[in-house]
Amino acid sequence: MKTKSLLNRKVQLAFGAVILTLVAVGTISSRALAVSGELNRWVGHTHEVLENLEKLMLAMQNVESSFRGMVVTGKESYLESYHANIASAEQYNLIVRRLTVDNPAQQQRLPALERLAAQKVQFSDGVIGLRRTKGLQAAADAMSDGKGQRIMDEFQAVIRDMQDEELRLLALRDVDARRRLAQAKAALVLGILLGLFTAAFAGWSVQRDSSGRALATEKLQDSEEKYRSLIDGVQDYAIFTLDPGGKVVSWNAGAERIKGYKAEEIIGQNFSRFYLQTDIDQGNPEKELNLAAANGRSEVEHWRVRKDGSRFWASVVLTAARDSSGLLLGFSEISRDISERKETEAKYRWLLEAAPDAMVVVNAAGEIVLLNVQAEKQFGYHRDELAGQKVTNIIPEGFAERLIADGTRTAAEALAQQIGTGIELTARRKDGSNFPIEIMLSPLESTEGILVTAAIRDITERKKSEQHLVKTVGELKRSNDELQQFAYVASHDLQEPLRMVASFTQLLAKRYKGRLDSEADEFIAYAVDGSNRMQGLIQDLLAYSRAGTNGQPLLEISSEKALNDALANLRATIQESGAVVTHDSLPAITTDDAQLVLVFQNLVGNAIKYRSTEVPRVHVSATKNGGKEWNFSVRDNGLGIDPQYFERIFVLFQRLHGRQEFKGTGIGLAICKKIVERLGGRIWVESQPQKGSTFYFALPERDGR
Amino acid sequence: MMQSIGTGAVPIEVLLVEDSPGDVRLTREAFKDAKVHINLNVATDGAEAMAYLGNEGKYANVPRPDLILLDLNLPKKDGREVLAELKESPALKCIPVVILTTSASETDIHGSYQHHANCYITKPVDLEGFLKVVKSIDSFWLSVVKLPRVART
Repeated sequence: MKTKSLLNRKVQLAFGAVILTLVAVGTISSRALAVSGELNRWVGHTHEVLENLEKLMLAMQNVESSFRGMVVTGKESYLESYHANIASAEQYNLIVRRLTVDNPAQQQRLPALERLAAQKVQFSDGVIGLRRTKGLQAAADAMSDGKGQRIMDEFQAVIRDMQDEELRLLALRDVDARRRLAQAKAALVLGILLGLFTAAFAGWSVQRDSSGRALATEKLQDSEEKYRSLIDGVQDYAIFTLDPGGKVVSWNAGAERIKGYKAEEIIGQNFSRFYLQTDIDQGNPEKELNLAAANGRSEVEHWRVRKDGSRFWASVVLTAARDSSGLLLGFSEISRDISERKETEAKYRWLLEAAPDAMVVVNAAGEIVLLNVQAEKQFGYHRDELAGQKVTNIIPEGFAERLIADGTRTAAEALAQQIGTGIELTARRKDGSNFPIEIMLSPLESTEGILVTAAIRDITERKKSEQHLVKTVGELKRSNDELQQFAYVASHDLQEPLRMVASFTQLLAKRYKGRLDSEADEFIAYAVDGSNRMQGLIQDLLAYSRAGTNGQPLLEISSEKALNDALANLRATIQESGAVVTHDSLPAITTDDAQLVLVFQNLVGNAIKYRSTEVPRVHVSATKNGGKEWNFSVRDNGLGIDPQYFERIFVLFQRLHGRQEFKGTGIGLAICKKIVERLGGRIWVESQPQKGSTFYFALPERDGR
Repeated sequence: MMQSIGTGAVPIEVLLVEDSPGDVRLTREAFKDAKVHINLNVATDGAEAMAYLGNEGKYANVPRPDLILLDLNLPKKDGREVLAELKESPALKCIPVVILTTSASETDIHGSYQHHANCYITKPVDLEGFLKVVKSIDSFWLSVVKLPRVART
């Protein structure tokens, strides 16, 4: 198109140039002709003037000679010629006057000429009169002064002047005409040359263009052919063209494969036959054509029908084709069978709908592409209200920002980086109310780029129960702390007055024993005993409430050293009972040193305290339990414990024996249990009555320090 | 001049800072039991103790104590503050201070020594223990140890 218009322009230009040249040349030629004609006219004119001047002079000479003939001969016949020539002279004079009317110089000479002619005639007439009357001599005498001759000479001189003037003018005009002719000639030559050149150039240019065009056309045809064969060969897409009315114009192999029609059966048919009957009834084919014509393009995913009547889900792009002037040439349609994708989508959608959470699929632009029924419920929107909306409408912060590419990451990376679970955000319902959510993101490759599927869980309830839990734990801790504080304060503050009671009853006993009566001694003894026991209980309670609360940092210590420290504390007991305490090599362990000493001291102490009649033998060992815990054991050959009491013995102030049998409040194992549990371990017992007991405690293996 | 305590004619001045009359009495009885010749003065709270030591008001003419037995839990100004003030005072800091309290708390023990207590004793809960402790105070601080005797104002 472009080439063609360019060519047209060139041709137009060339013709324009040639015509211009012709006009110029014509103008120059006509002007040259005019100049030439003018010159000819002037030459003729000059010659006419010269001729008439000559005739005038001749007439005047004839007048002279006729006059002389008459004077010499006296014959009257001469006078006839004489008068005829005078008339001729007058006539020629008039002609000259007329011819030189445009020449002031000549006109100025005319009066002199006429005056001289008149003088001559007057003189001659006078002489003729003398001749007639006085004879020849008188006439000759009249003529002897030469007056007649002088007039004649002057007359001739004026005629010559006029002739010279005409010749001079002629020469001038001739030079001018020649110059102008030469110019015209040069202009003509130039114009002709220019015309020839322009014509030649235009011819060459057009020749060149048309040869280039021929080449381009050839190439275009070649490429069109290739293109056509390419399109024809495409199998996956139906590609065909329609005329403006929707009749099929071309048809490729893909179209044949997908739609089932051969080119020869479908070309010329209206494309509406690819639509479902219901679509045809609704005028959809025309609507789509109109849409494509209006917008340049229309894109739909919809059902299409094959030749055999079966339907398939197609992705269709209809494009309007227009020429350079905007005239609608027709349409091209590219369509694809995407039934499989549709099926996948259907499956995906089914999965989406079946998900227990609200699911929202978002594209890289942060727009909601897809959502499920749970999402509708959770956010209070209808599906259609949300699809295509910005995800910020439902999750104002924390999600869309993550999807945006920036200088440091591409869109794909931005999306990929958002993959994860347990992101807690705030969501907004349609009614504007907010609620806490947890979202789990996963990427989804699709034809529309990477999408992000967000599984959104309303965690209002969880948050509530979490808050409740936190609150409950806080309350529990506070109540525990208070209880501990209470136990400590109560026992400590109880101790003060009790110390007074005990001290003074003891002082009473010390100072007055035997000085009062025996009943008084007995009463004082009970008071002393009661206050002593109460002191014991209170001290044990204090010890128990302090157990595990000192909160020393856990250090790696030698449990063997802890055992030895405990044994040192028990030295008196061991010596007194003759007990044999042995142990295996014990491990280093990260724990609270002082508390471990206390546990060993209680357990070994108990082992010796609740001995049988045999010499007490106590063995302490430790084994690694599954690599996670150290199991310590304290085995004795003592009384043993009935399994029914295995739980009870670890309870505060629970005793299995009477005070008369064994001293103590029943605090030891309770303290051990508290300590071991505080250290993250367990304590238990294996025993049979009369067969000794083995107390175990397991402490977790921790990383050092 | 220095002299062996408890043997001279001048009685040893001991200031007991203790709010419990029972404990005051017990301490008195214990010293009596130990047959020591001391002059036991009592301040029942921290403020009174400081007034005594500063010879303020009615204490203008009381003797400067040779030894202070200080309870920690006291009304008005407690024993910890009294100890700190004593040990910051150039005039009083060389008087030995024995902390005698029911508290066995590590914090108290550590804190007392941080403030230059001379020793820390937890009151035994039974009478025999208490008597033994007082006897020990007597035998150590009032017999074994040589204390500085500063000219009294």
